[in-house]
Amino acid sequence: MSLLQIFEGPLFYIAVTVFMIGATWRILGIIAIGRKTDISPPKASANVGFIAGNLRHFLPRKVFAKRTWVHIVAGYSFHLGLFVLVIFAAPHITFFHDRIWDIRWPALPRWGLIIAAQFAFAGLIMLWVRRFSDPVMRLISDWDDHIGSWLTFLVMLTGCLALQESHDALKATHMLFVDIWLIYFPFSRLMHAMTFFLSRGYTGATYGRKGMNL
Amino acid sequence: MNAVAQKAIDKFLEFTDSDIAAYADSCVHCGECAEACHFYMATNDPKYTPTYKLFPMVKAYKRHKAPMAGLKKLFGLVPPEVTEEELRQWEPLVYDSCTMCGRCTLVCPMGIDVAGSIRKMREGYVAAGIIPDGLVDAGKNAERTGSPMGVTFKALSAQIAHQEAETGIKIEIDKKGADYLALLSSMEIMGFPEIIGSYAKMFKEAGVSWTISSEAFEATNVGVQIGSGKMAKSLVQRVVDAAEKLEVKHVISPECGHAYGALRWAGPNMVGRQFKFEVIHIIELIEQLRNEGRLPAGEKDTRRITLHDPCQIIRRGGLLQEPRKLMDDSCSDFVEMEGAGVCNLCCGGGGGVSANPRAEELQMAAFSQKLKQISDIGEVEAVVVPCANCRTVFEDGLDEFEVELEVIGLGELVAETLSTK
Amino acid sequence: MDLRELVAAMFLFALIVMPLESLQAQSVRPPANAVNQGIDKQIDEQIGTSNTLGTNSQSDYWRDLRHGKDGLATSGQSGRKLIQAQGEQWRIVRKTYIVKYGGWVLATAIFLIVLFYLIRGKIRLKAGRSGETISRFSLPHRTAHWFMASIFILLSISGLILLLGRTVLMPVIGKNAHSIVASAAMQGHNLFGPLFIVALIWLTFMFIRGNFFQMADLKWILKGGGLLGPHASAGHYNFGEKGWFWLVVIAGSIMAITGMILEFPWLAESLQLLQISVIVHAIGAIALISAALGHIYIGTLGMEGALDSMTTGDVDVVWAKEHHDLWYEEVTGQKVANPEAEGSQSIPDHNQISAQSQTTET
Repeated sequence: MSLLQIFEGPLFYIAVTVFMIGATWRILGIIAIGRKTDISPPKASANVGFIAGNLRHFLPRKVFAKRTWVHIVAGYSFHLGLFVLVIFAAPHITFFHDRIWDIRWPALPRWGLIIAAQFAFAGLIMLWVRRFSDPVMRLISDWDDHIGSWLTFLVMLTGCLALQESHDALKATHMLFVDIWLIYFPFSRLMHAMTFFLSRGYTGATYGRKGMNL
Repeated sequence: MNAVAQKAIDKFLEFTDSDIAAYADSCVHCGECAEACHFYMATNDPKYTPTYKLFPMVKAYKRHKAPMAGLKKLFGLVPPEVTEEELRQWEPLVYDSCTMCGRCTLVCPMGIDVAGSIRKMREGYVAAGIIPDGLVDAGKNAERTGSPMGVTFKALSAQIAHQEAETGIKIEIDKKGADYLALLSSMEIMGFPEIIGSYAKMFKEAGVSWTISSEAFEATNVGVQIGSGKMAKSLVQRVVDAAEKLEVKHVISPECGHAYGALRWAGPNMVGRQFKFEVIHIIELIEQLRNEGRLPAGEKDTRRITLHDPCQIIRRGGLLQEPRKLMDDSCSDFVEMEGAGVCNLCCGGGGGVSANPRAEELQMAAFSQKLKQISDIGEVEAVVVPCANCRTVFEDGLDEFEVELEVIGLGELVAETLSTK
Repeated sequence: MDLRELVAAMFLFALIVMPLESLQAQSVRPPANAVNQGIDKQIDEQIGTSNTLGTNSQSDYWRDLRHGKDGLATSGQSGRKLIQAQGEQWRIVRKTYIVKYGGWVLATAIFLIVLFYLIRGKIRLKAGRSGETISRFSLPHRTAHWFMASIFILLSISGLILLLGRTVLMPVIGKNAHSIVASAAMQGHNLFGPLFIVALIWLTFMFIRGNFFQMADLKWILKGGGLLGPHASAGHYNFGEKGWFWLVVIAGSIMAITGMILEFPWLAESLQLLQISVIVHAIGAIALISAALGHIYIGTLGMEGALDSMTTGDVDVVWAKEHHDLWYEEVTGQKVANPEAEGSQSIPDHNQISAQSQTTET
């Protein structure tokens, strides 16, 4: 068995299993801690607030944008770029189809992929650069933040280095980092990709109940 | 194990619910919250980053309560135990540099409610006995008299008598079966007693039956500010007992920041049951009376006036349009600051900060941000501040920076501009 | 085991394993567009293999191949030409001059830096750190700098593999592995190339203020920048920094233009332009990377207190006085009496400094 076969075969399935179980455990664990039932008479629906809070926090507010535009631009650039890369890259669609589920969806043309990659890289590099040059981020960052950034960077980088799709070794390198990333994910702050829904939602529910303006 | 630290840790964990867990696990340390915090804006000191203020509580959660904490502990991957020294180091961050204004939540991509978390974190500090002296004194006063400033009913009666003489309207005390029971804050009683006269004028005009209780007249809840659930509950209980004894239908929360939230939202949860009366904010009530046509507006104030949004009433209280409608009715040249409404800057003295002499310098620095926000809209002649605590902070701050600007309450403004038919 | 060690071990494992994998890999395929079938057949038909000379003389035949002949249909850039003779010259220039001497220029640059370190050592703060700082670069400045630095490093590494890989890497790691590394480097280089343009424009706008030459620079040059001898006065930027800025802007622009031509060859009207671009791009790269090595050295290992300006953005007052005295005077309004004299610290007015840092920070 070649390394590529291991990395996209057994190791990949192990990684996905760790990822799924770990992430579910974390999410259920947070929910299981529980919240006290609020008996004060509500002004509006907490459930609507949960959803509204989730949606509202996608949109930055104008007053703050003057001070935070770099993060807004870099953050959206990275996350949207990465999302497009993961979901719409032709090799990924084939991989999902072959390895996970027998469905296909339209792929992005190659030039679209390159542009998405450039947005993703520009955003990620910017965010990481700020992490060590902004006094605020320097103070509050820990090793988990840096490892998360670097692992994601390496996954993206090895993926793009393999763009020619002519060497199995490059693909194997990419797959190895994907596997490491998947295993690291549930134990780390990368989990924010899932917990954001709860965090925004709980705040939104509290606010919604009190009839607070979003 | 240090007993002091242990007490705090236990409380941290007790108060760590799903909300706190989700917040701690989703914060990506992006630092955006600093840009919304008036303490950071004023000092540029990174330690005032809101999420940083929560670190001890987050550490305790990650070590003891987080999902997978046990597994991570095996590999030595959990943060070290919170120490007493660390707690003391964080004390000024938790008490002096957070007004629980909640502005950081608006900028947070994860929607983390730092203000609510600080409130829960302070429970740990109270349990460990690490509290600023100023707040300890306020707490003692409140336990004795119900008022953080130690205001007694005797003092209040004197002010009421004075206002009765001024307005020529009789104010009934402990009137059983009145529709509304009005609460006041100590700061109003001592600093701005004309609000009592304003109530009398407005309610007479609108034909509202109301009263003031000799047993529970104080709306301020120091327990909420310090973070002591026990004290907060006893202060709420005092109001509930008095209101239910007088069989009123509504209790009016005054122009005071956290009092409304303490009674309206936290209250029933602390007492453990729903009240037999409804809690209504004075601004809500005035606006309601105006809509019903019972309180028609008269001649407008023609000065250039702006409106400060007290955090606990507007951002965290949900009253956004009500004060603005009243402003439009009452003055002809109403101007808004940048970010007015939900995103408005805090005065810098809420959440117990103004009761904490140690925080004075920081509070003034934060107020300078507020002042800048006001001066950015050009010359204004007055600012309407519908919160007695904010109002005191404004007056102290304007004094300190030697700025001439009149500060008025919304109730007074409405009372002064009533139709005189 | 500490997680950090674990991650490092996995990373090392990956690095070691990759070349091994490549040795066993029999799966190396040429890129899909590498084989151009049909063109040989076409040439056969149109020129005629059986009768290579035909009615033409040999010189006519070669002339047609090099300059084109009507009725000859080919695809691509060169129109009707089958052989572009400059290609041979280009190949020789690239292989014998650029690759060879370029490599040596880089090696010399590294040698000079090491030599300088051995002679001069780390340039220390004479008066030691004071602990008091003033703001030198705002967060937007630092962000623009590090964004450029990241892209620059990624492009340098991938570019050097493309330029020198055959000569330097291939003998060491073998042809198979080199082919893998080169493929990766090319994809990476093409991907990050366009981002360099974004970084360059941003950097230029952020740093152009204060980077124009002044009289103080002439004195600085005459004193040799004070690198070896006595101190040379300087403003916010000294002549060396200004030179580096303009090298980045000018050489960087040339790199951007030639790079775009090479990445998107249809932009070029002729083959010569592509050939010239390759040469110019390579020369520019060597110049920029050599200078960058010096820049990195003096910003980190070479000078105490210099890196602060790009991490926290605040430099020690002593550093400012010793290296950018004119700037220090301008910012604080305080005279630096004699930067050479020991203990010549005029205590700066704290309020003025913090006021300044706030205005530059926002």
